[in-house]
Amino acid sequence: MEIRTTIFNEVAEREIRNPYARLFLKAMPAVIAKRRTVVMGSFPDPVAAQACGQSIRAEVVARLPDLLEQFERNALERGAKILWARDAREACEMVLALAKERDVSYVTKGKSMVTEEMGLNDALADSGIEPFETDLGEFIAQQLRRPPFHIVGPAINVPVEEVRDLFMEKIGMEKPTTDPVELGYAARLFLRDKFHHAALGVTGVNMAVAETGTIINLENEGNIRFNKASPRTQISIMSIEKVVPTMADAMHLIRLLSRNCTGQAISAYVSMDSGPKGAGEIDGPEELFIIIVDNGRSRIYADPVAREALRCIRCGGCLNLCPVYTKIGGYPYGWAYSGPMGQVLTPLLLGLDRTQDLYRACTLCGACREVCPAGVDHPSIFLYYRSKDVEGDRGLRGKRRPWWESRLFGLWGRAAAHSALWNLGVRVARPLVNRYSRGGVISRMGGFFQGWFRSRNLPVMAEETFHERWRRLRDEISAGGPKGEA
Amino acid sequence: MERGAREEILGRLRKAPRTTVEPRPEMPPLRELSLDREEMVAIFTEKLTAEEGAVYRVGNGGAAVARLTEIAAEEKLERVMVSADEVVAPLDLPRWGEERGITVFTPGDFSDRDSFRDAVFDDVQAGITGADYAVAESGTLAIAHDARQPRLVSLAPVMHIALVPVERMVAVYEQAVEKIYGDGGDIPSQVTFITGPSMTADIQGRPFKGMHGPRRLVVILIG
Repeated sequence: MEIRTTIFNEVAEREIRNPYARLFLKAMPAVIAKRRTVVMGSFPDPVAAQACGQSIRAEVVARLPDLLEQFERNALERGAKILWARDAREACEMVLALAKERDVSYVTKGKSMVTEEMGLNDALADSGIEPFETDLGEFIAQQLRRPPFHIVGPAINVPVEEVRDLFMEKIGMEKPTTDPVELGYAARLFLRDKFHHAALGVTGVNMAVAETGTIINLENEGNIRFNKASPRTQISIMSIEKVVPTMADAMHLIRLLSRNCTGQAISAYVSMDSGPKGAGEIDGPEELFIIIVDNGRSRIYADPVAREALRCIRCGGCLNLCPVYTKIGGYPYGWAYSGPMGQVLTPLLLGLDRTQDLYRACTLCGACREVCPAGVDHPSIFLYYRSKDVEGDRGLRGKRRPWWESRLFGLWGRAAAHSALWNLGVRVARPLVNRYSRGGVISRMGGFFQGWFRSRNLPVMAEETFHERWRRLRDEISAGGPKGEA
Repeated sequence: MERGAREEILGRLRKAPRTTVEPRPEMPPLRELSLDREEMVAIFTEKLTAEEGAVYRVGNGGAAVARLTEIAAEEKLERVMVSADEVVAPLDLPRWGEERGITVFTPGDFSDRDSFRDAVFDDVQAGITGADYAVAESGTLAIAHDARQPRLVSLAPVMHIALVPVERMVAVYEQAVEKIYGDGGDIPSQVTFITGPSMTADIQGRPFKGMHGPRRLVVILIG
């Protein structure tokens, strides 16, 4: 997938005027958020239930290496084959090698964010192996070559006319229709044939249970189940943080993930694999490969603040409440992960330098943190990224500001810390600043400071500071009682 | 190569500063845990019906077969695939089919994956399976797959009919998982939770059933 994180503002400005996007952004996130609240109410204490999920994910991050080793040991014992990939390229090469060894002409895929992160579809296509996304929304997004609009509905914003034309051209739909259900059934028919003869299925992983070596997938359509039932070979790809300690933890997270993702109590299907198929089973994979992908995460792990981003379980709950996401949709975020979730993850994976606008496109309102079932503190992480970027942190690839900017703020800091300097500054600045006043408000200054005013106003500086006024009043009092201000 | 990557990744994780693990906060037990069996059946039925699954309750195996006969007539079923698990096997559905002119396949009729796939994808109109547990909290079936319970029977045909003895009703997922995974010894290669038919809302947010898997789900509770 093409990385377009550097043109956030351009795409956002375009998308904010896109009527189709607006239509869905007005309705869908609010509906899901409302449904979430209702179904969270099935817990005797929703707050405690959320805190419990947060505590599970905190434990995962704290014990990550132990849990990964425990998961590996148990999965191996069940007969799965475990491959470790340092980065996206290595992970793609593993899939390609396995596909080539088995001489497959195509692979069917379940929706998997980490494979989008890896650019797996392009890597497969470049090697002459056709990848078919099989989640309906992902299938449409793939054919249109677009990033996901929303993690739950990757192509929910695409007009039916566009889907109709696409299906007529690409999948041989015979009768033109704009009925979403008929369009869905056309995709069913096309992909059913792919499932029927599939030799290699690729899936992501929602949770990898350390205690049993089991991988878990949640879905509504059944396409992931097909990918894990029909082909002889299954490759399931997970990033390192997908591991959870126990089956009981996984069950609780399934409840939270479903509620936050779509407002369901549980997704229509949850499938849990412990190794490949057993003796005598007529379907299911003869071989199960689990690729554990690092792609920069183990380096992030050294940073005690940034590592907390690894708590994220990709439910997308944060998208639905974000005042920024719900105006601009998923495209401006420019990559696999959108919304607050993407603003937290993408800068870590691509570097602070290439994602400048992502962690700045935030009002720090904290609505995302409020709902997060994993306990990610998005606003604090954004502030951390901003400071690391300004400092030019090497690990996180901060851009660092020009020397004069840090000098300027150094001087500012010193002046602000000394009252005499500060007061002098106020007296000097007041007439300069207030020249731009229009009715008590400054909304433009031109030149160097103009950027600041693009989305903000400044009230005029008062004619007197408190100290000045106090001094005047005190003098008046000692000269024979207050005369009042008017 | 992989070996090196593994050591590198785990090495870096191990080198990072350790943080402490806080104990899990207290969480009040789920309400469903206080339900008796009849209440569980009621909640299960309510929840699964809300997901557009159809739930029937019958007294015994004979009545379940009678119910199946009615469904087969309504749906004009002529060819079905039946699992060989311990719930449906004793009902001897192949003989039932013979008597009613319904062709009943079982996984044992197929020697290889390809012919089995041809049957479940293109030939049969319904898959009939038992289920290991029914979970009240969300109207969920839990099915453990093995040689007698193939994965595609409950997935590929356009209709899935599941039979579950009411003794297999549990309140919450943890209870089903505890029973299936137990001490961690011999565990099934795959376990599936099913809550309603296959569904999507990926085009314009318009929900519909039967995206890839069954369009219809019928559950017959026995006992």
